[in-house]
Amino acid sequence: MLNKLLATVKKESLLLLRDKVGLSVLFIMPVALILVMTLIQDSAFKSINEKGIPIVFVNDDNDSLGNSIKQGLMNNDLCYLSDSIDGKSATIELAKKAVSEGKFLLGIIIPTGATAAIKKNVSALVDETLNGIDSMQILQDSVEITILIDPVAKKSFLNAVTSNLREFISEVKTKIMFQSFSEQIAEVIPDKQNAPKNSYQKSQIIHYKEIFASTASQKIIPNAVQHNVPAWTIFAMFFIAIPLSNSIIKEKTEGSVFRLHTMPTPFLLLINGKIIVYVIVCLLQFLLMLAVGKFLLPQLGLPALVLGNSITGISLLTLATGFAATGFGVAVGTLATTDHQAAIMGSLSILLLSALGGIWVPSYVMPDVMRSISAFSPLNWSLEGFYKLFLRGGGVNDILSDALKLMAFFFIMMGISYLANRKKRNV
Amino acid sequence: MSSPVIIEIENLTKTFKHGDEPAVNGISFSINRNEIFGLLGPNGAGKTTTISILCGLFAPSSGKVFIDGKNLYKELPLIKNIIGIVPQDIALYPTLSARENLAFYGSMYGLHGKGLKEKIEIWLEKLGLKDTGKRQVSTYSGGMKRRVNLIAGVLHNPKILFLDEPTVGVDVQSRNVIIEHLKEINATGTTIIYTSHHMEEAEQFCTRVSIIDHGKLLTVGAPTELINSYTGATNLESLFLNLTNRKLRD
Repeated sequence: MLNKLLATVKKESLLLLRDKVGLSVLFIMPVALILVMTLIQDSAFKSINEKGIPIVFVNDDNDSLGNSIKQGLMNNDLCYLSDSIDGKSATIELAKKAVSEGKFLLGIIIPTGATAAIKKNVSALVDETLNGIDSMQILQDSVEITILIDPVAKKSFLNAVTSNLREFISEVKTKIMFQSFSEQIAEVIPDKQNAPKNSYQKSQIIHYKEIFASTASQKIIPNAVQHNVPAWTIFAMFFIAIPLSNSIIKEKTEGSVFRLHTMPTPFLLLINGKIIVYVIVCLLQFLLMLAVGKFLLPQLGLPALVLGNSITGISLLTLATGFAATGFGVAVGTLATTDHQAAIMGSLSILLLSALGGIWVPSYVMPDVMRSISAFSPLNWSLEGFYKLFLRGGGVNDILSDALKLMAFFFIMMGISYLANRKKRNV
Repeated sequence: MSSPVIIEIENLTKTFKHGDEPAVNGISFSINRNEIFGLLGPNGAGKTTTISILCGLFAPSSGKVFIDGKNLYKELPLIKNIIGIVPQDIALYPTLSARENLAFYGSMYGLHGKGLKEKIEIWLEKLGLKDTGKRQVSTYSGGMKRRVNLIAGVLHNPKILFLDEPTVGVDVQSRNVIIEHLKEINATGTTIIYTSHHMEEAEQFCTRVSIIDHGKLLTVGAPTELINSYTGATNLESLFLNLTNRKLRD
């Protein structure tokens, strides 16, 4: 039996090595996909994160509020702030025109006297609190800050900027209020030396600390490389369904299967020979893609792929993914009758499963319904497993359920193939 | 002592799931050891279906088949070891060389190592393919492919060899080489069951022939006996046309 298995493995290897188109699909296509997709996504990532959202700022206030907002936004990574347009100082009209022409994604206009209005309103509130004067008689109209929006701007950008604005305005208001209270209290305290000092600037009552929820020993930042390398590697591994199903179909159409069925060799042994070869191909694909992520991408100015801490986990998950992909190819090859059918059935189903599985767009940005469906894609199980290993510093225990699901998928595919083959022979 | 009959077919019938009428319709005959038995008939007569059933490729709808004393459906794995098949289509991998194809098929029959290599070289030499054995089969002519197709079926010295139109589409030279070597194989004790449309070839080559049409057995016997027993038949072809009529078949 071992000799027969080895002969089948040798035959499959030779057939694959001589199929230049099939080999290029298996090895060159995923490298090209990783390079193109990572470069595109990295560039998009940089334009938002390194330079920031382009915002034109019109500061007609020229006082605490306007200056504080300007300073705050300038120090914020989210924004790229400009107070001039084509070398001219930004005005309301120029800003409207520039935003409508798409030169800026957003425009922020702080009106004249905004700080003075806030101060007056705050003073009225302080008077009401300390002296019982009805503030409604003194309160000014509320300050109106205008935000100009390019229709192409995403709602999430707008939310992020307005949230920042509210924070700056609140800070300025609190500061003014604190000052007013301090001044009023100082007036009623005779001992000036013991009067409350304006220590607002020094106070920072609440701090924020950002930590990535990962058990990895080194800090792994999610980026285009960390997503694209595993994602497109999984896609390529599942794409072996095309040459594998073609190899099964060719045996049917070229008549070899007729002879093979009359030989004293179990059909399962013949299929096992194919599985061994194609799982090895999957492992080679994975090693090649890791090498691309680790060594080639950094040469192109991209971050290097970080593998996490568990080589055993990576090996286990890769092997399980290889089996799942191979089982899928065997099922497509058994169910299809012609190579044309196999090519269409194989490629469309892989595209669909990859889209659902979060290869093209991460599943966390999908709507709830799609995310629920996504959980049924074997590509998603594999990708989630690699996220756990590469981004969250997970180990074997963390990916065990994903690997088991992939192996279960392999056995289901083999079961379907066995039944389909039996049904087809029962003519 | 073993029985002189190597294949016994009793009331064999096969109706395909989507077929209107049986492809094989209650045929019964036996084949003796060391015979060259011709299974003749027009297109769609049921020859390939009969051979496919005898090779265990699919089950009959009814009837019994005994091969070398064994029930075909109860002892199929054992029977597969003693049969060889040369299908009508070229059942070879086009991107493998003749040697690689033969090494693979030989291994599937349990041959391996030096013994397998020697057998391959002997057969390639016999059929004039030794010098071209390294070339991919896709580069071969039709006759060369037929010869490799034949070797793949006989490499393991089967007791019974099924040949489904082994000389179709080949030149006279290749046909002669194939027929000569089939006679040589038969001389070593292999029983040959052979289908063909070449009546002259069958008349000269077969010890006995059967003629089937519409899945039914019309006659069986030695070619000369059959020709003599039918009035107006001067050779196997005229007998064949008398029995199966001259109407064109699909």
